[in-house]
Amino acid sequence: MSEHHQDVPIAVRVRQLEERVTGAGLVTDADLDGVLSRLYADASPVNGARMVARAWADPAYRQRLLADGNAAAAEFGFGGADGLSYRLAVVANEPGLHNLIVCTLCSCYPVSLLGPSPSWYKSLAYRSRAVREPATVLSEFGLTLPEGTQIAVWDASAESRYMVLPLRPAGTGHLSEVGLAALVTRNGLIGTASV
Amino acid sequence: MSRVHDVGGQSGFGPVPLDDDGLPFHADWQARVYALSGALRSRGHFNTDEFRDAIESLPVQQYLSQSYYERWLAAMENLLTAKGLI
Amino acid sequence: MTLANGTWVRARAGDPAHHTRLPRYARGHVGQILHCEGRWPLPDDRARGVVPPRVEAVYAVRFRAFDLWGEGAHTVTLALWESYLEERR
Repeated sequence: MSEHHQDVPIAVRVRQLEERVTGAGLVTDADLDGVLSRLYADASPVNGARMVARAWADPAYRQRLLADGNAAAAEFGFGGADGLSYRLAVVANEPGLHNLIVCTLCSCYPVSLLGPSPSWYKSLAYRSRAVREPATVLSEFGLTLPEGTQIAVWDASAESRYMVLPLRPAGTGHLSEVGLAALVTRNGLIGTASV
Repeated sequence: MSRVHDVGGQSGFGPVPLDDDGLPFHADWQARVYALSGALRSRGHFNTDEFRDAIESLPVQQYLSQSYYERWLAAMENLLTAKGLI
Repeated sequence: MTLANGTWVRARAGDPAHHTRLPRYARGHVGQILHCEGRWPLPDDRARGVVPPRVEAVYAVRFRAFDLWGEGAHTVTLALWESYLEERR
């Protein structure tokens, strides 16, 4: 069937599949709309950034975040009444230790806390190289770690989805939690940026 | 058997493409594919591992040459057909 | 089998004829258990429609890059189902 499909424009193929799937009663139009509206409404790196900012501001929250990521996300109401749909593992950067997240087998990623994954995260180049030469990969992102920094790569091969807790930048003691959250980038939460 | 998706440590894929614009999708059909896979899974017509299996089972040349959501589309077509659901 | 934190384990070297979540690059290599991540259905069974799937402990296992690749100073941690592992003999 793939031979046949190569001649059909991809948008047409998708439309045909959608019609067959809804025609067979497998899913409804409302199901399909719901998937996208939840993605657009709920999934954002702002969520992860707020958790990081609280962990910087509140040592007790930091402890809870590292001990049980799901409970720490639930404190913000992320994931709704059922909580996150995955096991959240938060890994903390420390002086001399930098964490980096990858999924070599597909592209597992905590979408609800980091937003839809960037296309580079799904690329074969990132998936293949992050476990083999992470320092070189980081340098392509413009991130050079202090000499002697240990890199810990996490390959999301099972049920945990990982998020990096970056180091709090120096000179941010005056910032509120909202101000701190604004410093945190999606790449910082993956480990391809320092914050 | 070793499959094409299992790329950890493999060389030859070049530099990481950093041209990300932050958008989740770059065509409406990609969003539709995402929605289909999510809805079909939440309705229980296939589970995540069956879906991954279908993606990994694509012919090697197809897996390597197609974009992310093209793979998803082909995998769903194959999986739903194999299960006799469409 | 319940493996204590700190146990050294070897990832199985075999190459199953079906979907699995043990990447090739870790197979046959020795790593150390960091902690258990709970018990989860085995993907190998779920992908093949085995009902009910086996439910096993999943462990975060840390490998040294040097052991995996023969070079590198970093570590790589994977989460692996217990049937992917054997205690280092």
